[in-house]
This record gives sequence, structure tokens and C-alpha cells, in this order.
Amino acid sequence: MEPVSLFDLATRQSQWLAVRQTAIAGNIANVNTPGYTANDVEPFDKVLDRTSVSLSATQEGHLGFGATNAGLTTKPQEFDGVLMPSKNTVVMENELMKAGEVRRSFELNTAIVKAFHSMLMTVTKA
Amino acid sequence: MDALTAALKVAASGLGAQSERLRVVSENLANAQSTGNTAGADPYQRKTISFTSELDRTSGVSLVEVSSIERDPSAFPMEFQPGNVAADERGYVKTPNVNVLIEMADMSEANRSYEANLQVIKQARDLISMTIDLMRN
Amino acid sequence: MIGGIGSIHFKPSVGATEQGAELFQGNAIAGAKDVGETSFSEALSQAATKTVNNLESAETLSIEALKGNADTRQVVDAVMSAQQTLQAAVAIRDKIVSAYLEVSRMSI
Repeated sequence: MEPVSLFDLATRQSQWLAVRQTAIAGNIANVNTPGYTANDVEPFDKVLDRTSVSLSATQEGHLGFGATNAGLTTKPQEFDGVLMPSKNTVVMENELMKAGEVRRSFELNTAIVKAFHSMLMTVTKA
Repeated sequence: MDALTAALKVAASGLGAQSERLRVVSENLANAQSTGNTAGADPYQRKTISFTSELDRTSGVSLVEVSSIERDPSAFPMEFQPGNVAADERGYVKTPNVNVLIEMADMSEANRSYEANLQVIKQARDLISMTIDLMRN
Repeated sequence: MIGGIGSIHFKPSVGATEQGAELFQGNAIAGAKDVGETSFSEALSQAATKTVNNLESAETLSIEALKGNADTRQVVDAVMSAQQTLQAAVAIRDKIVSAYLEVSRMSI
């Protein structure tokens, strides 16, 4: 669903970032769990391109965080490194780097929203 | 439950699991020299911990839990200490199957994972704060 | 009768902030006006156009940034200058309104 306004797009991105943060948290918490495969969300532009929003929360692999986040799924990622005997595919350094990216994007997102919101408020003030 | 709160929950479960692991490691280290009390008795047996991930219904995330704490079945190294109360008829004492170097490495791993989980908690908490701050002028 | 605001002539450098002055500069109006003097309504429309342009470019850049395709510093600069011109435009708007009201209250 193509977002129509700046605020719409910002909300979509912050939802996507929050789901990604949860996937990263799950990966870091399960870094020593045998047989665990690392999860991640699909890229943001693919989320934007999708024209239909599915509300099904019954499919395995869906993280259902309420109707607004429906359609934002986390999937186990393909692993092309050396597989440990424990079959755990979490690489801690990558997860920490992704967490840093999430943080930076989130800060930019909230700063943009705050700036445009205050501009709207300026204009509509008496 | 919204995504960021779920992130806090799973990171908290990670903290719990890693601190259990640290507890087991420190127990092993503390008892690395603990031999038995009677002749030919078994010494302290090394403990091992294993994790599993459980899908949590309310938040939809895989929390990590301690699945079991087992005893390491590997053999006890024998040391020649005829004066020891636990020495058998040939003077050998069974010593714990704890390798201090392995335990130390495990401990620094557990610390690293603990710190990473803590970072996740801080970040999730900060992101929630940033969202709420949008409302403040 | 109070004359239309458009008939007032306006010198751009009079007592404006830097951003306010910038709003009224640029595009010299050709025709029977002296250099450096534009009619008030034209100056106002210039200011409005510039504000709207700044806002549009800030919005476009922000949308690109949210999609992940923009340079952070450019976005920040664009948004800040949009905020500045908007603030100046709103201040001028308020001044104009209150000045008009004051003039309308004058006894003849």
C-alpha cells in the first residue's frame, strides 16, 4: 500500500523498525540456543511495494503485533557462513550492527516527524 | 503487545538465561578442587547448562529458557595424592572433571552475551522514549 | 476608504530578519518600479512561493530519507531552512494582520 503522506510513510517505517528491533532482540537472546536460526524482517522497500496487506496471523513465522503491524513478517534468514555444530546461525556482531542501524533510522524518523509536526503547529497557531 | 515491548521481554529472558549460565560456571569454578570425603569417593561433577527457545503466545516472540542443567558425564582425572582422605588403595584421588580454562572462556562468553542483551534492553527502552517524546513540545 | 494593500510600496531591507529579508529579495520585478522597490503584494507572493518551495523540497527529501536513499545532512539542512522560512512567513503574516486591524480601527 503506497503511503500517501510523509506522516504515513514515517509511521510505516517506525512500525517496520520496531518489528526489526524485536527480531534482533530475539536473535541476541537466543545466541546460545541450539538449532536456532536467525530471523529478520524483509527489506522496507519490499514492504512498501506490496499492494495488499494480509491480516492472517495464523501462518507460522508471522509475528502478530496487532492489526496495524499485520503484513510485517519476520522470516528465518538464509545462512551462508560456517555452520556451528549447535546449528545456531546467530552472528552477534551482525546483530549489534543491525541494532545500531535501527537506532539511527529511528532517531531520524522521529526527528523528521517532530520537525514537520512543529511546522504544522506553527502555521495553525493563532 | 506492541513490538518494542516484546523486544524488551525477549531481551529480559536472554538476561535471565545468561545469568543462570554464569551461575553454573561460577559453581564449577568454585568447586574445581573439591574432592570427595571418603576413600574412593566421587568428587564434584561438572555441571552443564542448555538453552531452548519457547514461543511466547502473548508477545509472539521466541523467549529463551534454560531447558536443563545436566551433569557432565566425562571421566574424573586421577591424581596421585596418598595423603588425601579420598585416596583409594593405590593412593589415587579422583579430581573434578572441571577444566578451569574452559570455564573461564565460558564465563567471558556469558558476560559478552549478557552485555549484548543489556544493550538491547537499553535501546528498546530509548526507542520507546523517543516515540513518547514526539508528543512533547 | 482604506486602499488595497497592494498599492503600498515596500523596500525589502527595512527592519527584517535575515530570513525575512531573504524572503523578499530575489526576482526583481521589471516595469515601472525603482530598483530595490517592489510592491507589497508582489513581495508577499514571492515570500509565499519561496516558503512553499522550501517546504516541498524538505518534504521530498524527508520522504527519500525515510526510504533510506538520502544524505542525512542534506535532509537536516532542508528541514531547518524550511522551518526558518516558515517561521518568518508566519511572523510576517501575523504582523500584517495586526497592522491591518490597527489601520481599520483608525478614526477618519
